Amino acid sequence: MTPSPAELRARAEEASAGLPALMLSAERLAASVTAGVHGKRRAGMGEDFWQYRPATSGDSARSIDWRRSARSDGQFVRDREAEMAQSAVIWVSAAAGMDFAGGPDRPTKRDRADLLALALGMALLNGGERVAIAGHLPRAGRMQAERMADDLVRRLSISGDDDTPAPELLRSGQRLILIDDFLGDPAPMLAYLDRAAGSGIRGAMLQILDPDEEAFPYGGAVLFRSAGGALSHDTRDAGGLRDAYLARLAERREVLGRAALNAGWNFGTHDTASAPAQALLWLWSVLEG
Amino acid sequence: MLVLGPLGFMIPWLLAGLALLPAIWLILRVMPPSPKLVRFPGTRLLLGLRDPKPVARHTPWWLLLLRILALAALILGFAGPIWKPAPEQAGQGPLMVVMDAGWAAAPDWPQRQARALRALDRAAANGQPAALLVADGQTEGALPFVPATELAAQLRAIRPAAWETRYPQDLDTLLAETPESGLSVLWLTDGIDHPGRTALLSALDARGMVTVVAPVGPRQSLELVAGDQPALRLRTTNRTDPPEILAIGTDPQGAPRELARLTAGEAQDENGVTSRLVPIDLPSELRNRISRFQIEGQDSAGAIVLADDSLRRRKVALVGDDRASEGQRLLSPMHYLRRALAARTDLIEGGLGDVLQASPDVIVLADQIALPEDQELQNWVDEGGLLIRFGGPRMAGYEMLTDEPLLPVRLRPGGRDIGGALSWGEPRTIAPFPTDGPFSGLSVPPDTTIRAQLLAEPSPELAGRILAQLSDGTPLVTRQALGQGQIVLFHTTANAEWSNLAISGLFVEMLDRLVLTARASATQPEVETTDELFWTPVQVLDGFGRLSEPQDPVPVPATEFGKGPAPGAPAGLYRAAERTAALNAGGPMMPATWPGASIEAASQAPGVELAGWLILLAAALFGLDAVGSAWLARGTRGRHRNRGATA
Repeated sequence: MTPSPAELRARAEEASAGLPALMLSAERLAASVTAGVHGKRRAGMGEDFWQYRPATSGDSARSIDWRRSARSDGQFVRDREAEMAQSAVIWVSAAAGMDFAGGPDRPTKRDRADLLALALGMALLNGGERVAIAGHLPRAGRMQAERMADDLVRRLSISGDDDTPAPELLRSGQRLILIDDFLGDPAPMLAYLDRAAGSGIRGAMLQILDPDEEAFPYGGAVLFRSAGGALSHDTRDAGGLRDAYLARLAERREVLGRAALNAGWNFGTHDTASAPAQALLWLWSVLEG
Repeated sequence: MLVLGPLGFMIPWLLAGLALLPAIWLILRVMPPSPKLVRFPGTRLLLGLRDPKPVARHTPWWLLLLRILALAALILGFAGPIWKPAPEQAGQGPLMVVMDAGWAAAPDWPQRQARALRALDRAAANGQPAALLVADGQTEGALPFVPATELAAQLRAIRPAAWETRYPQDLDTLLAETPESGLSVLWLTDGIDHPGRTALLSALDARGMVTVVAPVGPRQSLELVAGDQPALRLRTTNRTDPPEILAIGTDPQGAPRELARLTAGEAQDENGVTSRLVPIDLPSELRNRISRFQIEGQDSAGAIVLADDSLRRRKVALVGDDRASEGQRLLSPMHYLRRALAARTDLIEGGLGDVLQASPDVIVLADQIALPEDQELQNWVDEGGLLIRFGGPRMAGYEMLTDEPLLPVRLRPGGRDIGGALSWGEPRTIAPFPTDGPFSGLSVPPDTTIRAQLLAEPSPELAGRILAQLSDGTPLVTRQALGQGQIVLFHTTANAEWSNLAISGLFVEMLDRLVLTARASATQPEVETTDELFWTPVQVLDGFGRLSEPQDPVPVPATEFGKGPAPGAPAGLYRAAERTAALNAGGPMMPATWPGASIEAASQAPGVELAGWLILLAAALFGLDAVGSAWLARGTRGRHRNRGATA
């Protein structure tokens, strides 16, 4: 079902009503992470002065700072502090399953993912980095936070169970943060990680799950149906399936974790019942390292 | 009938169904409930998993209990439970059921039938022989005792009769096959005394135990009372507010409907029966259309009075000299009479010999004298005719006036003139009417004057015969009863020649009142002496007061007809020649007393039936079950709604 443009607009506007709230909570969250310009603390390509050093062979004449060299006998070269040439792209899954919440007192996984994505983006922006939501151009600056929030809110869910990041996001010098429940078909995701590892691109994966998905608190006769409706499973004794389900979930996490490790990525989990700051700190530390 | 403590069951074998309840419990128990539908993103992780212990989930125990209780209530309900059922009738000997089957038994007939059937059922269960005496006057010969089962169909078939309950008179023949002792008698009485009841009661009492079942509710009867103004008499066996009387007839379109409601007057107690007079105070246009009166809400032949000739339009014959009418129509007395009577009566005109053939109710003679058919006329009056005569110049000038027959008073020849050119006096006005005569209550217009009149010879009887008089005490209208009829004389003319009475409204009202008295005394059909006259039923009532055409009308001799409704002559409408007469069942009542018999009130008999309550309880439990099931189902659907709202 493809919504008409008018419908789309209406839905988007309805969705952006929650935007200030998202901005506010993301801002508060981002403030908890250590902020400040983080230079590379080494010489490199950049605009700010870093140090004068004696010229060595190989330095071209043009690079010699004549004003400094004139004060003494040696020739000095003016180094500039290296600037980070990297940008970060945050991808949040739009699969239908992300709209799940186990109870009315919990946010949906998508809400939590959006919040984390925006908070992370703001923290990175505060550090002077260029950030964007997948599908948009990474930019720096305060205004980018608003744009990211807008992009997140206006992003539409797809009706299917699986969503995979686009291959174009794999660009060198770009860090990739994937936020998903990783409950869909694992094969495309593993293939994507392979490609990322092949291109030498690093990143992080955050699995967001609802407590119901982690604890499986069901019993009796239940007909399970996936959020997209494509898959269903009928059982007479859901309680008896709990152990098998938890085993499969652990196995899934292990597979993903190992694949991430092999690709030089980081894999973390988060459940919507715990505080979002935890997940944000983890993401921050992973990107810092 | 199975009795467990205070509880009895009419159909005890149904209780065997209770044994099925454990089986139903098990079946309901293993019935798997429909699965809850859960939207779950991790469904992919579940694919291919097998249920470790494939057990059916149970229906909640309270739902199960609810269903079992409802089923149990249904089974118990259909088993016909009765709380404290009536004890078995006393005595194990042969059973005799006496059913009063007159009209008075009709209002609660189904209850009577049910009570008698119950007695027969018990007799059948105990193997007692039984006999059924239907007291409708048609039982002949000895009463046979047969197995009780054979009587049930007969009992269901009988209907109350449209006459009084009648007991057989020849008790020796009747009770020929009845055992001399050990008899148990169940007498379903209609509560009213009938001839022969005491004799039957003592005969039965001598042979065994008599149980009398009292009727439910009061008995009510309606009767037509003769008189100048016909009225109804309502009799009830209780003293509560009297019911209303419906006057039913055809409306101008010809459809039968309720034309009026009459309310009863003052109550009067006699011998335990309250009787009230119900005046039929209706315009004659309405009254002429009434076909029957009926006590509201009482289905009984005795609660219905069929209207016949005595309430109908009268047939009035005008006999007079109409020859002057050619040029001087307004001078003819016949003109005034015609105008006065045509609206409310059927008029016939002609010579006296001709109109007598048509058997009118009223014959009006306008200034006729020395009639050749006076013997036939006298016979006709004798049989109940009303003869109204008017004076006039011819009568005044007749020399033999003192010998003229068929006059209420002896007249003086010549009459008198008052207020004429040659007399001194003023024209006389009419004195107010006496309150007990037929004209009572009519108001006299002050400008009505009498200028000439016929004078009566003074005699001792004169004062008793005057219906209206002038202001000087001389008679204006006199009346004399003759046989069953009466003769009325107006001492003045029927035209405006002697007085202006004929052109006043009073004239019309006076004639109306007089005509209404014609044959009003014939409500009790006269006992005819001639055997040739037969009454043929046109419409007959059944005991419940329903009117129908007779299947094969059997003519009733007039001698029998006069004795009231009887077997062979049910209440109804009868016709003989041109007359119709109604035979009405309602009449005097006398409450019956039962010395020596035990009386069972009809209401205490059956115990309290619990079937309805139990079935109601079952329905309520099923309702609760539906609510409970819906609540369970709602639990699963509600989750989806919540999820949809947060999405």
